[in-house]
Amino acid sequence: MGMIRGDDYRESLRRVKPEVYYMGEKIDSVTDHPAFIPHINSAALTYDMAWAPEFEELLTTKSHLTGEKINLFTHVHHSTDDLIQKVKALRALGQQTGSCFARCVGHDALNAIYSVTFDMDKKNGTDYHKRFVDFLKEIQKEDRFISGAMTDPKGDRSLSPSQQADPDQYVHVVEKKKDGIVIRGAKAHITGSVNALGHMVMPTASMKETDADYAVCCYVPVDAPGLIHIFGRQTNDDRKCSGCLMDQGNPEYGIVGGEALLVFEDVFVPWEQVFMCGEYDFAFELVERFATAHRQNYGGCKVGLADVLTGATYALAEVQGTATASHVRDKLVEMVHLAETLYCCSIACSCQGYALPAGNFMADPLLANITKLNVTRNVYEMSRLAQDIAGGLLATMPSEFDWGDTKIGKYVDKYSKGATDVPAETRMRLLRLIEGMTCGTALVESMHGAGSPQAQRIMIMRRSNWERKKRLAQKLAKIGEQPKLV
Amino acid sequence: MNVALKYCGSCNPQIELSDIGHKIEEALQEAPDIEVVPRSSKAIDVMVILCGCPRACGDKKRIRKRASHCIVVAGESVDLVPVAEKDLLSQVIQKVKSLSTAKS
Repeated sequence: MGMIRGDDYRESLRRVKPEVYYMGEKIDSVTDHPAFIPHINSAALTYDMAWAPEFEELLTTKSHLTGEKINLFTHVHHSTDDLIQKVKALRALGQQTGSCFARCVGHDALNAIYSVTFDMDKKNGTDYHKRFVDFLKEIQKEDRFISGAMTDPKGDRSLSPSQQADPDQYVHVVEKKKDGIVIRGAKAHITGSVNALGHMVMPTASMKETDADYAVCCYVPVDAPGLIHIFGRQTNDDRKCSGCLMDQGNPEYGIVGGEALLVFEDVFVPWEQVFMCGEYDFAFELVERFATAHRQNYGGCKVGLADVLTGATYALAEVQGTATASHVRDKLVEMVHLAETLYCCSIACSCQGYALPAGNFMADPLLANITKLNVTRNVYEMSRLAQDIAGGLLATMPSEFDWGDTKIGKYVDKYSKGATDVPAETRMRLLRLIEGMTCGTALVESMHGAGSPQAQRIMIMRRSNWERKKRLAQKLAKIGEQPKLV
Repeated sequence: MNVALKYCGSCNPQIELSDIGHKIEEALQEAPDIEVVPRSSKAIDVMVILCGCPRACGDKKRIRKRASHCIVVAGESVDLVPVAEKDLLSQVIQKVKSLSTAKS
């Protein structure tokens, strides 16, 4: 098969019965619940766009395992061109959804685990890589959407996993059986997890020998017994369930990816789906490779979103009669500058990517971390500029219900108008779109998604060649030499 | 004459690439002696490679070798010659027709 369509994906979701809770209720059908539909639509587009002639070149590729045509999101990168293709595909998807489409996380997990299992086997003589390749073939064949579940709740951050008072603050192995392992703990903030078909569980930090039980990487289907999904709230999420359309801003694709807390209450995982179990000395390698791949993405998808946000802001300025004001034009230019700076970063870390022992390619880790660290700033600044141009109505506009009211609707309409030849509805829709993209959850996702800024700074600290920089300066300053006069 | 269309991937097109592509396809379907065939077809005389910007990501050897002739739209250009967006459709159609005439 190799490639399915959006509706096939929706049908595959209907066939599984995960345990999902939202707003104090157990959800019978994720596929039909308004809280999840935008996220499902967004993920479905990763399938449908792969079939569209306009996007096929970006969203499909050839499997290095089978030679068959596959969706990009099940591919393991084998060149810098592959890495660049991913960034461009993410930008295109960001432009079409204005939201998160969630498939990149599992994709990045596949790429990281592919190389780390190879390295573990080489050192320890284990057979994780073959096991993983068999699993990957299955994923590619079914075009399966999997999430990447890395972040543990972490408890007391000053303590390592094995030092925690509550051992479940990090996912760990509680039992090893002949046919598999049993895991317990939780993973937090897992994007797309309620509308994926399974989760790739990975360790979240570097580990020591005492943390060996916490060095676990495995695949868990969404409906595995003992796995509970608790869906997180988002800013204005009640608008999805109260019959609003305009007030949602982006009713079709929503805001960010839809994150959940995953609770693993003694979940059994067969050995065929275990890709690390106790190899604590490879935990950091897995974290760094996954983080590099994921941080590389942010100058792709977020720039696609920025294209939409800049377009909405420009259109709103036209509606409000301010588009030709020099300060507005300057701010719009600044928004593009900030967005394209991020794109430059993602393209650069992809161009500087390199081969790993397994033969697959990863982006340059230093530049990928620089990309994501810039995202934590530039997206906020773009949002600030958009809100500046939009004006206070962004936060005070009456609801679409009042606009549609038979008695007061005429007042909302009259006093929401900008330019006389443009309907008030146009201005209201643009404001709601900007509100969704810049207020609340979407911003926090830019800060903490793919790791918090300090996580990037730690990687930058590790990857910067400080001694060489020092030697360069010492050489020019003639430190340690007798000065020579020319 | 068999003509196929191939897009670059549309990451951030500087022109309305999809719209132009559809118009080219419609115009070619109406032209006599020209048949628009799927890009997977084995017998392609002309491949129109539609790229959203001058980077021309769709202009690849593996794509070129599938047709006797290629016409490359890359942003506001056709075969490296600058063409305004509004004139891209007519330029491409004119090129395809001249190749068709030459073939017949």
